[in-house]
Amino acid sequence: MEEKRSGAKWKKRVPHKREIPWKERIPWNKYFLAGLAMTGLAVVLGIVGLFWTPYSTTAMSAAETFNAPSLRHIFGTDNFGRDIFSRVMKGLGTTIGIGSLVVLFSGCAGILLGAFTGYFGGIVDEIVMRVTDAVNGFPSILLTLVIISLLGSGRQNVIISLGIVFVPSYVRIVRSEYLKLRDADYIRRARLLGVKNLRILFVHILPNIFSVFWVSVMIGFNNAILAESGMSYLGIGVQPPEASLGNMLSDAQGYLQAAPWYALCVGLSIVWVVLGFSLFGEGIRRGRAGE
Amino acid sequence: MIRIEDLSVAFGDTEVVKHVDLELSGGEILGVVGESGSGKSVTALTLMGLSADTARVTTGRILFDGVTLQEAGRPRDKALYRSYQGARMSMVFQEPMTSLNPTQRAGRQVEETLRLHTKMTAGERREKVLEAFRAVGLKEPEKVYASYPHQLSGGMRQRVMIAMAVILQPELIVADEPTTALDVTIQNQIIELLRQINQNQKNAMLFITHDLNLARRLCHRIAVMKDGRVVEQGPAEEIFRAPKEEYTRKLIEAVPSRMKKRKIDGNAMENTAGSPGTKRYSAQEPAESVSGDASPVLEVRDLCVYYQDGNMSFLSGAGKNREGEKLSLRERLSGTRKEWVVSGADFEIYPGESLGLVGESGCGKTSLSKAILGMNCHIRGEIRHHTIRPQMVFQDPYSSLNPTKTIGWLLQEPLRAAGALDRTKVMTKTDMEAAAYDMLRKVGLEESYFHRRPSQLSGGQRQRVSIGQALITSPGFLVADEPVSALDVTIQAQIMELLQRLQEELHLAYLFISHDINVVYQMCDRIMIMKEGRIIETGDTEEVFAHPREDYTKLLLGSS
Repeated sequence: MEEKRSGAKWKKRVPHKREIPWKERIPWNKYFLAGLAMTGLAVVLGIVGLFWTPYSTTAMSAAETFNAPSLRHIFGTDNFGRDIFSRVMKGLGTTIGIGSLVVLFSGCAGILLGAFTGYFGGIVDEIVMRVTDAVNGFPSILLTLVIISLLGSGRQNVIISLGIVFVPSYVRIVRSEYLKLRDADYIRRARLLGVKNLRILFVHILPNIFSVFWVSVMIGFNNAILAESGMSYLGIGVQPPEASLGNMLSDAQGYLQAAPWYALCVGLSIVWVVLGFSLFGEGIRRGRAGE
Repeated sequence: MIRIEDLSVAFGDTEVVKHVDLELSGGEILGVVGESGSGKSVTALTLMGLSADTARVTTGRILFDGVTLQEAGRPRDKALYRSYQGARMSMVFQEPMTSLNPTQRAGRQVEETLRLHTKMTAGERREKVLEAFRAVGLKEPEKVYASYPHQLSGGMRQRVMIAMAVILQPELIVADEPTTALDVTIQNQIIELLRQINQNQKNAMLFITHDLNLARRLCHRIAVMKDGRVVEQGPAEEIFRAPKEEYTRKLIEAVPSRMKKRKIDGNAMENTAGSPGTKRYSAQEPAESVSGDASPVLEVRDLCVYYQDGNMSFLSGAGKNREGEKLSLRERLSGTRKEWVVSGADFEIYPGESLGLVGESGCGKTSLSKAILGMNCHIRGEIRHHTIRPQMVFQDPYSSLNPTKTIGWLLQEPLRAAGALDRTKVMTKTDMEAAAYDMLRKVGLEESYFHRRPSQLSGGQRQRVSIGQALITSPGFLVADEPVSALDVTIQAQIMELLQRLQEELHLAYLFISHDINVVYQMCDRIMIMKEGRIIETGDTEEVFAHPREDYTKLLLGSS
């Protein structure tokens, strides 16, 4: 026993610099770059759209209904003569915002529930799993309809209802990972060291489920965007005159003959966001896997 | 008969086999020995025509009875190979668990070889398979024939694999670590079987292994491989008696063996141990460690460990458990019964002592160690610790370190945990970092490893970190569960040396669990032999090795 843990005996040492600078921590693969560019453009447009749009999104003009795309209105105008590009910008903000919040809410709830049930098991696990089974048992669109009809439509209620519907899928994924890792040697060792349970749950295990969880977040975000669009399309989502990509698409279907660019531009915007985010997520996942 | 001439194999730009020359005639067993990554498996797979499609033969050729099977610059002739594979050359793989198809009955899988290569009728094939099963020593061939792989034990599966390999009496059998995944006594039987087959069928055998002792016992000639090259080749005894190459000597020295003197008795420890003031408690001086005023770090009294077996309905089981005891009402109501895996363990460990625990898989070693560490609460009896939280070194270095953390973080975590449990042990960040750097040095790693992650480390390095993590809180007592059995021999020797050095420096007590009796011989002062949950023999290492009392101990000792 040559040294005691008194601290004072040790000379202070300058720790080595981190071996990996931040530039090398970013996965510079083509998926990531393409995804970053596409998502970045959509997010920037969405954020700018919250404060400024080329034209007012609500001002109608009888003289300018159904203008085809031109330099003045690059996505054309709709049945009320409103600039579609301006409304797409607003819609992007609404849709991406809703998607992010839904994923944030259901992801956090999923991690909490999944971590505790997977790690501790027992009667709580049984109850939570049966509840999620029950939630899964309903078609998700039916469930959102029920929740919306109880709460009323509108932006927050869309977030709440989609959030609830999405929770079970995260719980399942997180739970199965915790179930697997709770018996890993390094977790056993952490228990042996006397590490507190909460710390094991969220410091020791959580980073290890990142790649699996990240995949489900990617899918979940895209599903949320599509679900929001779908709900608005059915008229139970974001209510006009507020713009979301979904309710614009719903409007556009009435004018497929008269103004095909309307549906096309809005639809392609949705595809753009979903595709961009998928690529972005895939890039990050591959980067992590390659580590 | 088989000639490998100047063979080089490359994956992409990296050559993994470099200018290998091997020759093998009928009735001969050639051992190819080397550590993982030495290219021995790639050589064998290339010979068999089973190497991955990305592998290219860059120089040389392979001749089988004068026929060129493979040549540099010529793509693999799959049709040619197919006429050889199975019929004239066959292979036994390492992992008996995965090399049989789990969805097909064993007999059917062996029969398939016959169906592909002969024109026998179904009845003849069945007879032939049963005959082959008998020949490889399977007791109930009919039953094995109709069994699925999961119904067979590891040894039986390996016998089925061997039956499959020899059924057509091929001229060449390649055995790639066929016994590594098996228990020692089974290992012995399989080796005997291979020797018999070789004698009876007079075929050539290429025996690949990392275990020099094994190669010495079985092979006529040995080729030692390192970094893709054959560094030495010759008759087995000659290589062991007078190794020409430095590397071969190192490899032979690294193998724990009873033929060598134990390090602790000689002067070998001196140069690694460093400080002359320290003294190791050797078997010759047991008085110092075992007897007298020294109080044990661990006392185990009449310990029994059981598992709750939940698969029992209230009515089944005739109200009795395996031991024949009557079930309590509570057990019957809850539908569980106790499966005793350890019974009546009774021993103690003293400071500075290593106690070896030897037994085959499934004998209850791990259950016992878990109980001691408090990881299993289904126990009866008494465990008394006289140290703070005993720690453990795990077997698999690849799963015992959290892959998302840096080495520095991992080494500091025990200190953080100790601080969280006990306010008086809270350390500042700089102190913890300093302690981690200090431990890195102690386990023989450079400071630059502090910010690396486990994935950037080799198996041996990981095991060093693992040991450091266990020791950083100065526990005084360490359970080492097969800490070296997943490592290459030279690495194995280094880790054992490290454990011995640390034991001396920190006056540690070890409970050293292993199935490898030679490793235990090198490491331990006293050993316990365990069989079917009971400790059947305990004693000083030298004593037990020289005069084993139990038949089972003799069997274990004889098998290696």
